Amino acid sequence: MKTAEKLPTINYQLSTNRRFVWRIVDFAVAGIFIYAGALKAIDPVQFASDIDNFKILPWPVSVALAFYLPWLEILCALGLVFRFLYRGALSILSASIVVFTLATIAAKVRGLDITCGCFGHASQNWSFPAHLITNLAILAGLLLLSFKATSGNRLQNSI
Amino acid sequence: MKSSLVGQAVILAALALLPAAGEAIYFRDKISWRSAIAPSEMVTVEQARGWGDTAIWVDARPDDEFANDHVPGAISLNEDRWNELLPQFLALWAPGKKTVVYCSSLSCNSSREVARRLRKEAQLSDVFVLEGGWEAWLKKKR
Repeated sequence: MKTAEKLPTINYQLSTNRRFVWRIVDFAVAGIFIYAGALKAIDPVQFASDIDNFKILPWPVSVALAFYLPWLEILCALGLVFRFLYRGALSILSASIVVFTLATIAAKVRGLDITCGCFGHASQNWSFPAHLITNLAILAGLLLLSFKATSGNRLQNSI
Repeated sequence: MKSSLVGQAVILAALALLPAAGEAIYFRDKISWRSAIAPSEMVTVEQARGWGDTAIWVDARPDDEFANDHVPGAISLNEDRWNELLPQFLALWAPGKKTVVYCSSLSCNSSREVARRLRKEAQLSDVFVLEGGWEAWLKKKR
């Protein structure tokens, strides 16, 4: 086979490998949110209490969010897995992790010794830096996927 | 699907309402929308006093506040020293006893957390949170 004939095959292989890697990132991020969402969905009473501990929202709002947010996370994570409403799912998950992180920092600044409740009761004994690092790592994954989705669209539009 | 980003987000946000509503109905008896503590888990100072010797008073405030003053006969059990203090509490506890947990005021959370852990981790029933906490006790004492 001549070199010129080999090139398209190599390019195709590289592009398939890259797509495979991005799908792994999709699944990893989605897995984290499905796990976190499920933990909170099975114990909404505890999650409402975790939200209430931030002392930002009134109790009825904490209860409403405790019922709603876990399912929103799970649905968005499924959106990443099945590439259904993909960019919307990415933006919601990014926004939620930013809000959780900011609320955790604000609580720390205000001297409240609480867990963010991001992973239900499983994260009860996590330290503040552990929370922060986990949230920032997830946010980095989401931003990478958003960047990939945006640049992919731009490429498609330019063709 | 080639809808806008905002459109996609709105669809997802709306879809999540369905399971959330279902769960809210399913858990309607296990959580109160009015107060962080279910009414059945709250007790007033008068009610708790009425229980007399069958009540064990648990002070969930920090050690220094407990040392400063506390309900007569109360024992300290806070989250900071949970593992250390829990055996002392369990030594006092007996079947049929009612546990009344209190913290500083109406807005504090520690009594709720201690009560929750006593129910879940120590598997105790008849654990109540004192409405108004230490402040309510002081008012009724006067």
